[in-house]
Amino acid sequence: MTTKTSLLKVILLGDGGVGKSSIMNRYVTNKFDAHLFHTIGVEFLNKDLEVDGHQVTLQIWDTAGQERFRSLRTPFYRGSDCCLLTFSVDDNQSFFNLGNWKKEFIYYADVKEPEKFPFVVLGNKVDVTERQVSTEEAQRWCQENGDYPYYETSAKDATNVAVAFEEAVRRVLAMDERTDHLIPTDTVKLHRKPRSAVPCCS
Amino acid sequence: MAADSVHKVIFEHEGVFIHPSSDEDTIEQDLLVSGSLRIIDKDGEIIVEYRPLEDTVDPSNMLCAGKDSSSVVEWTQCPGDRSHQLLETQQSYETEWDMINAVSFRKRPCSNREGSLNHSHERTRWALTFSVSELRSITVKEEGWTFLICKLKEASTPLPALHFHQGGSREFLESLRRFALLTESPDDEMCLLVSTPNKALSQSFENLLDDNSFGLVHKFRKDPYVATLGGFSKVTNYIFDALRGSEEQHQRPPEEVADLLGEVIPGLEINQQEEPGFEVITRIDLGTRPQVMRREPVSVDNWTKHQDPEGRMINIPHLKHTIFKGGLCHAMRKEAWKFLLGYFPWDSTLEERKALQRSKTDEYFRMKLQWKSVSEEQERRNSRLRDYRSLIEKDVNRTDRTNRFYEGIDNPGLALLHDILMTYCMYDFDLGYVQGMSDLLSPILYVMENEVDAFWCFVSFMDQMHQNFEEQMQGMKTQLIQLSTLLRLLDLAFWNYLESQDSGYLYFCFRWLLIRFKRELSFQDVLRLWEVMWTSLPCLNFHLLVCCAILDSEKQKIMEENYGFNEILKHINELSMKLDIEEILQKAEGICLQIKSCKDLPHSVSVILGFDSNISSSDPTGCGSPPAPRPIQRQDVCSNGHLRKNSSHNSCKVAFIS
Repeated sequence: MTTKTSLLKVILLGDGGVGKSSIMNRYVTNKFDAHLFHTIGVEFLNKDLEVDGHQVTLQIWDTAGQERFRSLRTPFYRGSDCCLLTFSVDDNQSFFNLGNWKKEFIYYADVKEPEKFPFVVLGNKVDVTERQVSTEEAQRWCQENGDYPYYETSAKDATNVAVAFEEAVRRVLAMDERTDHLIPTDTVKLHRKPRSAVPCCS
Repeated sequence: MAADSVHKVIFEHEGVFIHPSSDEDTIEQDLLVSGSLRIIDKDGEIIVEYRPLEDTVDPSNMLCAGKDSSSVVEWTQCPGDRSHQLLETQQSYETEWDMINAVSFRKRPCSNREGSLNHSHERTRWALTFSVSELRSITVKEEGWTFLICKLKEASTPLPALHFHQGGSREFLESLRRFALLTESPDDEMCLLVSTPNKALSQSFENLLDDNSFGLVHKFRKDPYVATLGGFSKVTNYIFDALRGSEEQHQRPPEEVADLLGEVIPGLEINQQEEPGFEVITRIDLGTRPQVMRREPVSVDNWTKHQDPEGRMINIPHLKHTIFKGGLCHAMRKEAWKFLLGYFPWDSTLEERKALQRSKTDEYFRMKLQWKSVSEEQERRNSRLRDYRSLIEKDVNRTDRTNRFYEGIDNPGLALLHDILMTYCMYDFDLGYVQGMSDLLSPILYVMENEVDAFWCFVSFMDQMHQNFEEQMQGMKTQLIQLSTLLRLLDLAFWNYLESQDSGYLYFCFRWLLIRFKRELSFQDVLRLWEVMWTSLPCLNFHLLVCCAILDSEKQKIMEENYGFNEILKHINELSMKLDIEEILQKAEGICLQIKSCKDLPHSVSVILGFDSNISSSDPTGCGSPPAPRPIQRQDVCSNGHLRKNSSHNSCKVAFIS
């Protein structure tokens, strides 16, 4: 086999109802359902793509946004390569909470160098007419908080969704080149059974 | 059967309230009188009539309000149509109480008779009737909702204010405008002066006046949820893409995630606190699993046979057992669920239940009024209420939207779902709203088709599920530990496999347990599973055996395919909507019987399934399940299934050796 595929774990975080699951489903299945159930627990979908000649399998994790479920959500932050901080442009509060989500992620993902970690910020639901958060406001926040790339997305009409994920991959790959991330650096625990590297599933 | 003069209902609105507490001589401070307001054309005379709910209704002379409550069709009553006793009791109850729903889904019969009321109840003193021609003015006021104060020309005693807690004041004024001229008073723009010119004249004024008063009407505050329910398009197909593996991948080991989850769900630690020491048990031979058969759902006839003439349920153990074995036919659910959930006591008479519903209706609307009357300013200073409301609005839009009861944009089912969840916040403000609760309410509301009944049944269900949603999620942790204990007994090899994949604490069952399989089964299957569960048969925590039954069917695939942590989670998540409830129930019952007949049952398992405790001896296992020996190993179990403190000297942690 000539190509080496990296598995990259990205996690979508943000307030309940900002459209995390919808973004994931738009990207992976190219479908949109306005009445999709709110997420209970944790789910993930995989998506293969090629970015700048790299074969990548994105493992996109989607969690329940309510505060109450924090303790059952945060363990899944570990091992994330990228975090997509998501808010909805028609919901001020979800924008104000971006900082909290970032903090929660950094704390529980146990990020070694938080200032270098690749965050991408998504302002979803740009298809709605009544905005509460302006593009300028969002861009300012991204600049002030670590110069994060910002995308205004619409899971409903697919605006910028694929672009945002591809940018996330680019950021991770750029990190990898610096840190030689493609070689697994995690210490393998000896008492654990080594698992198969090939995910199966229908 | 009164052959009264011909009259036509022009306008009708239910859920209009009088607040007698504002009345100086009231003794019942808390009483809210709810009733319906009508405009009636009685032989050409236009009458405004307010009628509290207690009025007896003669079903032989009913008019039925159409959907918009202003068109009226004759209710043609076929003799014998409703002769069935059960349906009749339901009918009279529906007639009385459906009226207060903001919306209803069926034809709502209503009394149109006058003067024949049997004023036995104290409340009926709030009934009022006057002719539009007697009206001097209507003052429109707002307090988070709209209320109208009507003044008559010949001022006798002042009329009580009519509170439109469920909207409708605008429609009322609009209907009135067809028969009377309403003009703003020069002194007070909120006061509409009423004059009743002849019909022709009023017609010609109609268009002219519409504009004039529109501004005023327009100011009426709309219910807050209306705005949020719009803007969603039709449901489109939604399919999860299958997970496709690529040729070569490096995967980050999820051990770390698993370790953290293990800390979050400190499974064995809880056991350790309660059960110091170890009980080493070698692999237990459970024997073969008995094959059981499911039966037909309980029919209406069958249910009625379990009812005495006063309406008390009789032979309840047998009835519960029949429900456990086959569930209920759908027509029976609306009534039976109220008993199963404990809203109705099994030994109550029909009369007692009616009284109960009356008082529960008051209680409900009192609580509903509490959040309905919070002004925007108040809410600005109440972040918890604001957060609850915001999340409820979002989740109502995302709950069972493909079900006809909740589909589309302006479906009244959505408004009810919203209102009941908001009212539950007032009922239990500490808990408030937690995601998942809308899933638990939706099937109940679907079955009840009635706001008040659905609320109280939901309250009962939440009593059982409360711990799942609490801050520390203790209910979830306990259940995951219990499930783990059961699985170790039933299938140690599989449990060991899961453990080797860092999945021994069974996190992947989280959604199953949080909302009792609501997302895993088709809607109809959820109804079946829940009614079976609510019989509390055949053991405590039967739902955990349901988990075991599903896992039993999946273990082969999971182990053969050598699924890891992520794949197991994904596989279990994707079982959603692919499960067959009858098959699962059959297997779960078989597992129960299998465990029950085991002689050397570990103590912890007996506790979880209630085989030790005395309360389960009331289990009506009179028929069907073979009498199983109750393995009693410890006598120190409290009725709640927890171990007593003093038992620690001989109780132990169970360790399994394969």
